[in-house]
Amino acid sequence: MLRTLLGRAVLTVSSLVAAATAVQLLLWAAPGDPIDLLPNGAELRPQLEAEWGLDQPVWMRVVTNLGRAATGELGTSLSYRPGTPVTEVLAQPALNSFALLIASLVLALAWSAGLAAFTRGRRQHTSRLVRTLSVAPVFLLAHLCIHGLNEVTWSLMEAGTIARPAWFALPGEASAMRTALAVVLLAVGSGALADMHREAEQALISIRRSGFVDAARARGEPTFLLVARHLTLPLASLAAARTGFLLGGLVVVEKVLLINGAGAILWQAALLRDVPVALGITLMAATTVCAARLAADALRVGIDPRLRSQA
Amino acid sequence: MSRVAWVLLAVVVCIGLVAPFGDWERAMTVIPTEAGLGPSPGHPLGTDHLGRDVLARLQLATSAFAGPGLLACAVALVLAVPTAAVSAYRGGVLGSATRFAFTSLAAIPRFVLVLLVLSIYGDSPTTLALAVGASYVPLLGEAVYERIERLRGEEYVLASQAHGLAGGRILWVHLVWFACGRLIGRHLLALFGFYLVLETTLSYIGGFGVQEPHPSWGNMLVFEWGRRSLVDPGLLAPGIALWATLALTDWASESLGEVEHG
Repeated sequence: MLRTLLGRAVLTVSSLVAAATAVQLLLWAAPGDPIDLLPNGAELRPQLEAEWGLDQPVWMRVVTNLGRAATGELGTSLSYRPGTPVTEVLAQPALNSFALLIASLVLALAWSAGLAAFTRGRRQHTSRLVRTLSVAPVFLLAHLCIHGLNEVTWSLMEAGTIARPAWFALPGEASAMRTALAVVLLAVGSGALADMHREAEQALISIRRSGFVDAARARGEPTFLLVARHLTLPLASLAAARTGFLLGGLVVVEKVLLINGAGAILWQAALLRDVPVALGITLMAATTVCAARLAADALRVGIDPRLRSQA
Repeated sequence: MSRVAWVLLAVVVCIGLVAPFGDWERAMTVIPTEAGLGPSPGHPLGTDHLGRDVLARLQLATSAFAGPGLLACAVALVLAVPTAAVSAYRGGVLGSATRFAFTSLAAIPRFVLVLLVLSIYGDSPTTLALAVGASYVPLLGEAVYERIERLRGEEYVLASQAHGLAGGRILWVHLVWFACGRLIGRHLLALFGFYLVLETTLSYIGGFGVQEPHPSWGNMLVFEWGRRSLVDPGLLAPGIALWATLALTDWASESLGEVEHG
């Protein structure tokens, strides 16, 4: 088992290194260099070229930067928060984003498994309804929710029915309402729920038609726990596969719902062309996806004895 | 249902492709005296708060995603399918290396990768289309790779080889065209939908994408924000158009899946 896991870990780390290298090459293939983006870049060029290693060949820069990234050093921000280390810029927002990601992933898995248990390939109309509702982009659902919530709350406040809620029209402050909305929208929007429901439904149908479930049923034993245990494997793979998708959605919900997270910072960094920050967040996102894949693999190897015997 | 979806989707794309050549004075000219009008025979969906016709802007906005969306599909198709098909058919080191490359690149979330590219290379529609198309290559490539790798050992492929059929014909006609055609079609529809979502999201949040006074369904939504009630057709129209187009894409894509699985 350990050998299998070690093999998967090596493959995952190699994938991450390859992804990081590709991103670095994307950066260095662009015309100009990061110094061009600085307002006083021309004056500081000789000093910065030596400091940032821009006078070295591309392969040397890539290797150096990968080595630095491996030790957690992602450079300093150019324009988002000039001079501040990227790790310092991202420390707290990345934790906020991670919490949102985990919460939305758990919610999406729970809903998709629950819906799959309800539909089980039989209620086509329900599946189509879920699909049609879920296909709406996250930003559109957020727009409708915020607009509708504001209108209803405002009319109730005007009528004197309720006092002003703490979350109402205070965009700068942290709000449980906005966070909860972000989690729900991320779990549902842009086809997330529909895709996960479809895959969970297929997995559930396949498990329920298996011989071991028929055998348990013939013996008069309850099949719920048996099916649930076998559903864990496809759900774990599903969660790992959807992590990257949800990370993309995080950028949108954090920006639209004004949540302080790495996604919102990525947007600002991209607007300000702060490449080190954007690059740092991209590497963190890729690391999260690879970690999710590895965790899913570990779970599968832990549960499924056939995978252990392959080693 | 699926035929209707295909026809309506084709109509939307055709409007978008033809739109840049039309005269869109009603969509672009600011007329303060006609600001915020409700639906009428002259303005079926009313006007925005600058007096521009909402229906005309809705039609013009299709040009923001139709052409670039097709370009993104072409980029993904040209980069992913030949690479995946040849490497899966030949197998060996080439196959393993290609699969590793797809898996590695798929570790970078697509939306994040596109934003990174926009920050490095600028945010023109062509850059966006190329970035979106390239970001989809691992997903499409992996799907085609898996299918061809599974099928290359099938009896009909071995029989064709035994009968002396050229390898190129087996690969491109039997495997790619007949066995992967619908799979590729589904992925390209998903990519077109992804481009639409991305373009409207960028335009909605602002800073990237289509900027006022040019219309996009995304910036049309945010431009009227707070100026109308949620039930006003002028405010809802871009959102409904976006939702409906994505639903059409999904239904059309579903029809390809149904035929494939018999």
